[in-house]
Amino acid sequence: MDITSFFQSLEATGLATRIRDSQFAFPLIEATHVFCFSLVFGTIAVIDLRLLGIASSQRSFKRMASDILKWTWAAFAFTVLTGVLMFITNARVYYHNFYFQTKMVLLVLAGVNMLVFELTAWRTIHRWDTAPSAPRAGKAVAILSLSIWIGVIFMGRLIGFTTKPGAVVAPPSNENFDNFLGGGAPDSGAPPATPPTAPAPDKK
Amino acid sequence: MKEFAQWLSTTSPSIYIQNNNAWFIPTVQSIHIVGIGIILGSIFMVDLRVLGWAGTDQTLQQTTNRFAPWVTGTLVMMLITGILMVIGEPVRELITLSFWMKMSLVALGTVLTLSFQRSVQKHGAQWEERLHHRSVRWMVVVTFLIWICVILLGRLIAYDHFWGSWSPAAIQ
Repeated sequence: MDITSFFQSLEATGLATRIRDSQFAFPLIEATHVFCFSLVFGTIAVIDLRLLGIASSQRSFKRMASDILKWTWAAFAFTVLTGVLMFITNARVYYHNFYFQTKMVLLVLAGVNMLVFELTAWRTIHRWDTAPSAPRAGKAVAILSLSIWIGVIFMGRLIGFTTKPGAVVAPPSNENFDNFLGGGAPDSGAPPATPPTAPAPDKK
Repeated sequence: MKEFAQWLSTTSPSIYIQNNNAWFIPTVQSIHIVGIGIILGSIFMVDLRVLGWAGTDQTLQQTTNRFAPWVTGTLVMMLITGILMVIGEPVRELITLSFWMKMSLVALGTVLTLSFQRSVQKHGAQWEERLHHRSVRWMVVVTFLIWICVILLGRLIAYDHFWGSWSPAAIQ
């Protein structure tokens, strides 16, 4: 089974179909995705700013990490879950979307970055735990982490601007969604017979 | 409101944004989302301290003092990016139910968060004694839920048909 038919079968599942056809599901799932991701980014930012010595510099890093990172992982789990639920409604379109691909690459890089941290600065934590900032490797990881996650945010937003939700029933046509990347009039409201296979510009 | 929004879309700042909106709006939105992360994270850390789930090696006042500049500063930044988005897309923002619900909750959340913050900064010892009280714990939970609703409503602005016939965005 090649990847296209695999994605097609994902799109055809009852779950994906119900989300796609619902007036409420996709918007709520996406909104939850934003909320969960804000917690991921917010908690990571607390850690990264500590590593850089910009905030909370009098606190033990180990203490902060053990307090915070479990929340980061929990929020990340729900972010991935909501992301997958959105993905399956229109898998082929997202898979071929440049910004989606970049976002996935950035996520992998974020993971690699975390691993690098474990293998470098974390090894000597007993030496800098109560120092105001981390050694150079730790600071580099922190800057990379913040940059990567901000990149993820930006790419995520651009997915929304360069794809349409795979809705079989289109929302009311005269909502004020200017089609600014493609120009021209808003979607006429005629429901597409199948999920679009090419990215159609839509402002979200 | 519709006339105001349409007038706003004819002003030169709005025209500038509309002419550059391929990068302007996504960039401002992304900055706004970074801000959501910072502010939600900061409020979250203080709330975790109130609940006794993190940072218990410091007092509530110390925790609040650490995050207060980030909360206040980011709130200002959110206002600025928010205003820029309204100027850039007045009808899209102002003629939705989600936007106005969101703004009501932003006002409520801001009052709750900033007054709690200021009170802890002034009367840290008294709050420290009351931390285990159920009313204090409920207060931070409810405030956090308000901010969650703000985030959800912010995204729903783009999907105002979510509200069906209550949405002014759907004309017919």
